[in-house]
Amino acid sequence: MRLAFKLAFRNLIGAGLRTWLNVIVLAFAFILIVFYHGLNSGWNEQAKRETVEWEVGQGQLRNNGYDPYDPFTIADGHGRIDNPQAQGLEPVLIRQGSIYPDGRMFSTFLRGMDPNQKVLKVPVHLLKDSKADFPVLIGKRMAESAHLKQGDEVLMRWRDKHGTYDATTITVAGIFDSNLPSIDAGQIWMDIHKLWEITGMPENEATFYISATAKENMDVEGWTYYNQASLVQYIDDLAEMDKIGAMIMYGLLLAIALLAIFDTQVLSIFRRQKEIGTYIALGLTRARVVAIFTVEGSMYSIFASVVGMVAGYPLFAYFAKTGIGMGETPANGIATLQRIYPVYGVGLIVSTTALVIISATIVSFLPSKKIARMNPVDALKGKLQ
Amino acid sequence: MIKFLLKGILGDKNRSVLPIIIITIGVSLTIILSGYMRGVMGDMIDQNARFDTGHMKIMSRAYAENKAQLPNDLALLGVAQLKEELKSDYPEIKWVDRIKFGGLIDVPDGENASKGQGPAAGMAMDIFNPESGEDARMNLTSSIVKGRLPSKPREALVGSDFAEKLNIKIGDEVTYMGTTMNGSMTFENFIVSGTIRFGMPAMDKGAIVIDISDARQLLDMEDAVGEMLGYLPGGVYDDEEVAPIVKSFNARYANDTDEYAPEMVALRDQNGLSSYLDMVDYFAALFVAIFVFAMSMVLWNTGLLGGLRRYQEFGIRLALGEPKGHIYRTLIYEAILIGIIGSIIGTAIGLVGVYLLQKYGINIGDLMKDSSMMMPTVLRGKFTPELLYIGFIPGLFAMVLGNMLSGIGIYKRSTASLFKELEV
Amino acid sequence: MKKTALFTIIGLIAMSFMLPTGPSASQIIQKVDDNMSSDTRITESQMIIHGRRNSRTITSIGYSRGKYDNFTEYLAPEREKGTKMLKLKDYLWIYSPSSDRTIQLSGHMLRQSVMGSDLSYEDMMEDRKLLDIYNAEIEGEEEVDGKKVWRLALTAKVDDATYHSRKLWVEQERFVPLKEDLFAKSGQLLKRTVMSDIKKVDGKWYPHKMNYKDMLKDGQGTDFVVTKMQINVPIADEVFNKSNLKK
Repeated sequence: MRLAFKLAFRNLIGAGLRTWLNVIVLAFAFILIVFYHGLNSGWNEQAKRETVEWEVGQGQLRNNGYDPYDPFTIADGHGRIDNPQAQGLEPVLIRQGSIYPDGRMFSTFLRGMDPNQKVLKVPVHLLKDSKADFPVLIGKRMAESAHLKQGDEVLMRWRDKHGTYDATTITVAGIFDSNLPSIDAGQIWMDIHKLWEITGMPENEATFYISATAKENMDVEGWTYYNQASLVQYIDDLAEMDKIGAMIMYGLLLAIALLAIFDTQVLSIFRRQKEIGTYIALGLTRARVVAIFTVEGSMYSIFASVVGMVAGYPLFAYFAKTGIGMGETPANGIATLQRIYPVYGVGLIVSTTALVIISATIVSFLPSKKIARMNPVDALKGKLQ
Repeated sequence: MIKFLLKGILGDKNRSVLPIIIITIGVSLTIILSGYMRGVMGDMIDQNARFDTGHMKIMSRAYAENKAQLPNDLALLGVAQLKEELKSDYPEIKWVDRIKFGGLIDVPDGENASKGQGPAAGMAMDIFNPESGEDARMNLTSSIVKGRLPSKPREALVGSDFAEKLNIKIGDEVTYMGTTMNGSMTFENFIVSGTIRFGMPAMDKGAIVIDISDARQLLDMEDAVGEMLGYLPGGVYDDEEVAPIVKSFNARYANDTDEYAPEMVALRDQNGLSSYLDMVDYFAALFVAIFVFAMSMVLWNTGLLGGLRRYQEFGIRLALGEPKGHIYRTLIYEAILIGIIGSIIGTAIGLVGVYLLQKYGINIGDLMKDSSMMMPTVLRGKFTPELLYIGFIPGLFAMVLGNMLSGIGIYKRSTASLFKELEV
Repeated sequence: MKKTALFTIIGLIAMSFMLPTGPSASQIIQKVDDNMSSDTRITESQMIIHGRRNSRTITSIGYSRGKYDNFTEYLAPEREKGTKMLKLKDYLWIYSPSSDRTIQLSGHMLRQSVMGSDLSYEDMMEDRKLLDIYNAEIEGEEEVDGKKVWRLALTAKVDDATYHSRKLWVEQERFVPLKEDLFAKSGQLLKRTVMSDIKKVDGKWYPHKMNYKDMLKDGQGTDFVVTKMQINVPIADEVFNKSNLKK
């Protein structure tokens, strides 16, 4: 076998330009696969991280009456459990209200959370520093659609637990920048103690609790626990879909590269019949000769992997460090990342290399099979077969 | 001369069939991949354009200011006249009317009460008129889970999750309740002609899709529209085409102080799409360039191989006294012919492929059975005019280049050595 | 001199006992109630809704019986014509001829505005007596449009009042309210009603023009003009039956 590799190496280097054209194309496919997969897992990881950090926490215990996709359920979908803090649960209460920027009614959701909370990245701690009577926090999307700036005051109206109207002026104490529209658009964040107070609800009343520690399950009557994995499942699904989409793309690119190898193989077997005949005359088994030619074909993929890694490394490293700007796209509550940092695992490199080598070997083998059917005498004579 | 070469190409399978097959495959793959890339990468932009932003959008200024709240009370009036003007000023742009509206859907229980209610996320567009292209643009037909598109007044599509929850069947009646443009309460029964799934939970829970004529009546919006979307003829967003239109249109109303005067916004300036747009352009172009380059390499190689294959023949021809230059030229001419034949066939096959990709897409739904999320699982290609010529770059030029390079061998080698290739 | 002083004091005290003391706040409200309510009432009215872009006038005829039962049929414009609303105690149904359906409004829908006006259905639904919900006191006397009025302050004594407090300006002569302000718990003014054009109907004084305004929103609010009113006329029981909606 060593001989086969040696021969293959010499032959390929000897063929010059033809070899390098094949290798470059295959290396391109290699780079693209690694890069795209890296981008995909980078997106997946970051989107999940952002969603976990800004919205999901380690898991959520939701009141059974509450459906995040049905705003009608907010009125009644809340409740209370005893001493949630002892179980590492951070209450979040959602109520409905309206604000009146420019004399026009703007329906909103009031979201209460403890300013000392550590489970989410929403900077509710800013509320503690504000000197305003009623400081609130809004996201940049909300700020834009309601035409509010930091320091602006606006009248807010809501109802207490009995349905009695209440209204006061709130002050925008801060505007946060999050990639998650779901916790931003139409949401007004405030100190949950304040929200309990103004709605007359008892302490710890919540629409859902966010868990500070990862739990698989919780058994609380009237509440359902959603673990972190289930809450970010949709991101995996999206990433998976994207991956399949990308597979089609680089599958096509790989197909082209393999086509080139195939063509090269067909020609080289056609032109080197005498050589094949000689091998057989020298006593090599046909299988051995097939192996020599197959190895020669698959050698392209080894070259390509090496070239791909060498040429791709600076590119991969550069993007992993600086990320790729993605802009800001609203996509139905899914985290929208402004910058994606590709993540390349060892597994990715290994599996991509394996994919390239195996597929190249297969296409090299296909034309080589012909050798097995050759008449050695004719081959030796160089007679076309 | 060409006839002679063509005869040769057609007669000698060895010299023609394999290269043509390879060029055909290569060119069609290039085109399919480019179309696919454009389709998938531009999908987000395209989806935004089709569903929400248009390539450009006209709203009243007041509506634009408050558009997060679907403020139909601030809708644009005088639509018919505005459309006339638009038609004469920008004849190539396709304008469509859209009305989004909120409200409530009430499902009767067959007797005198309701079996359930839910918030409505209403959308109205020109469904009845097939020329509007709204069905394809909004992907309605392919998003239908059960039933069919509304085909006559007072038929509606409702969100499939909502329908499931309240056990609504095709042909059932639901009542929409909401407020008109003027603030009046409005009620209307709609026969559910189908259920639809857009893959967005909020929509699938409360969507109601009706024809624009029904919405106009329902919401008292005769000659009014919430949003008017404009689409470029090619179906692909192009900043350079849109920007001057937006500029000239808005300039006309620059001195108008009416807060309900129309205002045009380009896709780029909506939904924060600008940077994404730049990125897509960049990446799609990059990938297509990589692909064309890769394909060129392959076909160059094929050209090289094609030349090498025929050294024997050249040897004979030299022996017969044909000048080297002539052999070289015929080689190139042949390469051009083969390149053209392969590229044409390849482009044709590729375009059919892209067309199929665009029309049917690749449904990867089955590959994602475990998915808990609803989403469109069809990947689609996109036809762009560049596909018509993009295949010729690798197909023709790379092929010819390859042949040219391998043909140099004719000059390098002596007649004797070429002739030697003949030895039997 | 001392004597005169003493007499004066005694006299003043005596006089103060003899002076007719004004009615208490609850008495005033009671009187307003007596004046404004009747066994039955048929009202033809116009509602003028001032929108940001245009104004609309909606004509309706309303039948009411006692405090709880109310049936309204809208007569014009075309869009509203034939729409009927029936309120019986805690229930509100709306019938729309275009859909030929009767729908009970509950929860969210009750908070919507009536026909785009500044009035919500919920405002219409409140039918507890003011004195059952509020403690009332006289805050002072002043003049509104040249008429002497009491200014009453009402503060909720129950938890579930929609508006935590109200201010009511009641004309002293005819026991008709001229103005009412509705407040949030915080004291923020939410809604204002101004009543005018007071006319006598069958011995009772009744404002024939009212303006409702949501004070948090821009705009001129909603005008409610009574064009014809009959009180204590017999109304058939069927009117207040759900089946009447579909007729």
